[in-house]
Amino acid sequence: MKKICQAIILAAVILVLIGGSALYYRTRGPQRYEGQFFGCFDTVTTITGYDTSQEAFSEKMELLEEKLRHYHQLYDIYHTYDGINNLKTINDAAGETAVEVGEEIMDLLKLGRQMYVMTDGKLQIAYGSVLSLWHEYREKGMNEPENAKLPPEEELARRATHTNMELVMLDEEASTVYLADAGMSLDVGSIGKGYAVQKLAEYAREIGMENVLISVGGNVCAVGGKADGTPWVVGVENPDTDSEKAYLATVELADNCVVTSGDYQRYYEVDNQRYCHIIDPHTNMPPDFFSSVTVQAKDSGVADALSTALFNMGYEKGLALVEKMQDVEAMWIGKDGEIRYSSGFKADEKK
Amino acid sequence: MERFAIPADLKPMKKNDVILIAVLLVFALAAFGGVSIRSALTTNEPEAVVYLDGEEWGRYPLSKDTEVEIRQEGDHYNILQIQEGKADITAASCPDRICVNHRPVNRQGESLVCLPNRVVVEVENGMESEVDADTN
Amino acid sequence: MTKRIAYLGVLTALAFVFSYIEFLLPLNFGVPGIKLGLANLVVIVALYMINVRAACLLSFVRILLTGLTFGNLASMIYSLAGGILSLVIMILAKRSNVFSVTGVSVLGGVSHNVGQIIIAILVVETKSLLYYLPVLIISGTVTGALIGVLASILIRHLNKAKETL
Repeated sequence: MKKICQAIILAAVILVLIGGSALYYRTRGPQRYEGQFFGCFDTVTTITGYDTSQEAFSEKMELLEEKLRHYHQLYDIYHTYDGINNLKTINDAAGETAVEVGEEIMDLLKLGRQMYVMTDGKLQIAYGSVLSLWHEYREKGMNEPENAKLPPEEELARRATHTNMELVMLDEEASTVYLADAGMSLDVGSIGKGYAVQKLAEYAREIGMENVLISVGGNVCAVGGKADGTPWVVGVENPDTDSEKAYLATVELADNCVVTSGDYQRYYEVDNQRYCHIIDPHTNMPPDFFSSVTVQAKDSGVADALSTALFNMGYEKGLALVEKMQDVEAMWIGKDGEIRYSSGFKADEKK
Repeated sequence: MERFAIPADLKPMKKNDVILIAVLLVFALAAFGGVSIRSALTTNEPEAVVYLDGEEWGRYPLSKDTEVEIRQEGDHYNILQIQEGKADITAASCPDRICVNHRPVNRQGESLVCLPNRVVVEVENGMESEVDADTN
Repeated sequence: MTKRIAYLGVLTALAFVFSYIEFLLPLNFGVPGIKLGLANLVVIVALYMINVRAACLLSFVRILLTGLTFGNLASMIYSLAGGILSLVIMILAKRSNVFSVTGVSVLGGVSHNVGQIIIAILVVETKSLLYYLPVLIISGTVTGALIGVLASILIRHLNKAKETL
């Protein structure tokens, strides 16, 4: 009898302990971690996710960084890297030879061509000749603001003659790219980052991350929602950086992406006039429609391309384009701070 | 009901065993309590943490107004000012001045970033942030 | 003598199988190092039924075998650290005659976890791993008690079988 008692007590103690510790880990659950790294697409990458320990999260961070760096190198137009053909390789061979590329570049350029057609040429990836001229003048202007100048109109016009998308030859069977105009160059600044973020999100899912928020310089993509099932909340930054109000609105993300194009971060000034880094392919000048345009879409590459394209066109035209597309919504912030939305844009506007 | 006698040292449990188990559990629970109390006590004050090239360079409580010069080789610098519980970069050597144009930060996880100088100022233990990321 | 060798061989094989089972069905508590320690059951049986030398040999051979089969050098070092510490403590505890099989097993389980965490702290060089210690002591106690009760029942029946043989 005594032994049975003992056995029952022992069993009870063990059960309580096991139950207790299991409960403890259930309630504690995976912890939320955040990590940052530099060196990809000239910006900061922030990853927010959940894991059982800092070590486990850091390991995944390293994998993600490696992946993103790979895309960064492929889409780089300023540097060459040993053993890989990147966009600079293609640009350097313009008018000479076709360059063999992997599907990461082929698919990106295909998306670029698709978006070019869809946006009536407001998104242009074969626009490197003009963009590089602006880049040169902007860099000079930022380093010596007193000597800041605009690129000469004739030179812009001359360079614009080397931006014919038809001359970007994609041979999918041979997986080669050939630029049939020696004066032409590719610049995927308006789409490459977004496309890479999309691929990074897919990779995050592959390595077992089910709830992650990836932000590559404000190019935000959500894999799942938060661990508790609620969506991620992303603030749309106030273009007026002197204002106390940090965000004009917040949007909720779960398995989709949001990208903003604006004129208030990267710009230079000539005669007190702001000239931002986005250039309208139809005028060869920075557009003057909005302070920023935010696009929400399933695919980060599409969102990135569209935000640039919408920034380059008036509201009516942009709205018509957005309404025509599925799973795409947009928010325009005017120069005067006026906010306009497409019909399905769900934002929580900050008062 | 036992059909045979169990040798004394082969009974499943002796009194000493029970004492041992109890002592271990009490010790572990006490250590556990100690750890959680300590972590609850130590990590409360909001701070601005400065990272240089990804390495921690310094941390400053947001409760104390101060001005710090984050100086690096080759005349690169950022001036971090802490005022009214907020951290702000007020001057910098970088050409793009994105960090200077950024508004002061005080919410959990918010950061000021200067890419050219590879400087990041991040808020730790700040006020609960209303957003998980921002798009700009 | 030959009987003892045969016995030892069977026990080693058993310990190996138990390790394999734990490898297939890991207990995931979110903290590294927690496991049931089924293999320790066999080590205890050897300690009580044969002798100290047999238990040491068995323990060492098992770690070597499982390390080579399912692990790598790192995991083998962790197992060795845990295994040796736990074995030494169990031998001392048994010799002291203060505890029964269960008490010895509890001490073995706890010291196994402690040994592993000490190595981990040395390797990773972070004291933050000490935070795991309370959890590992609790888990070592619980699994050790379970294994101990199992072991005492097993030893009882084996003794009986030995007598009837």
